[in-house]
Amino acid sequence: MNKDEDTSAFEQRAGELLRESANNLDAATRSRLTQARHIALAAHGGHPASTRPGWLDRRVLAPGGALAAMVLMAVLLWSGPGQAPVKDAGAALEDLELLADSDGYDISQEPDLDFIEWAAAMGETDPVGS
Amino acid sequence: MHTCPTFNASATLLADLTASPQGGAFLSATADPAAQTLNGFLAQVERPAFRMAQMALRHDEDALDAVQDAMLQLARRYASRPSAEWRPLFYRILENRIRDLQRRRTVRSRIMAFMPWRDSDDAEADPVQRAPDLAPGPAAQVEGGQLGVALHNAIGLLPARQREAFLLRSLEGMDVAATARAMGCSEGSVKTHYSRAVHSLRAQLGEFMT
Repeated sequence: MNKDEDTSAFEQRAGELLRESANNLDAATRSRLTQARHIALAAHGGHPASTRPGWLDRRVLAPGGALAAMVLMAVLLWSGPGQAPVKDAGAALEDLELLADSDGYDISQEPDLDFIEWAAAMGETDPVGS
Repeated sequence: MHTCPTFNASATLLADLTASPQGGAFLSATADPAAQTLNGFLAQVERPAFRMAQMALRHDEDALDAVQDAMLQLARRYASRPSAEWRPLFYRILENRIRDLQRRRTVRSRIMAFMPWRDSDDAEADPVQRAPDLAPGPAAQVEGGQLGVALHNAIGLLPARQREAFLLRSLEGMDVAATARAMGCSEGSVKTHYSRAVHSLRAQLGEFMT
């Protein structure tokens, strides 16, 4: 068997193993995936399917998160008597900004219009998955 | 398996929906052809998607969260698109969510390492990364009849783009064009990533799988 045939057999066997593992999920995981699907369908039907309680709304969390980040920054930067000065405070500040940034998650949630237009154009000429 | 707060909130919401008068509308929505089509699509992708997220994140709860978020985004924002476009859109959303989770995990780890009260010898904060790797190597796993586990572990160690290309092609069965759409890159890049992934996996597991 040459290398190409080996590779092809390898890919085929790997695909079989992967599909088998996806089909053999435990019952608890399957149940939770079903729940997740129903929640998505509820959202599709116009229900306000939020994944977090109302009191955890972003408008409440954002100012609180910013305040918490400021307090944490003050604690981190405070060098008590006899302690060495904190190094690399700039990098820490960037990290805290990232964590406190309530819009950060939305980076991936914003519609990617260029991609959609491109996908639509491709879909017309070459149906997905064909 | 522990239940995360995010998923608990969603499950509570589902219970509320089904118990409320509007819940009847939700359940009857499955009679809506569009909802039925979406339901069928999500049912088709949910298990492969979970495996993909699980291999990337190596954390079951995070994987479930990633899949749920991808489903929600698809249903909310893209369900009106032709169903032929759903698959690449869904996997692109899922991969973005996986990267969000990985990035936040990394930042959290750096923050924890920066804490002044932490032991300097204990610099790595992520418990997943700190845990000693007790898993046997690929050869031992294969000998123990765990070829699938060995394959999962090897895929989880691939670079992100190689892992993505390999799983979309091998697990989801997408062709090169659809994989390129899902990954937002050219077909040539897909072929390169896929070829490197196969080469790497074959070097580790090839003798056991052919």
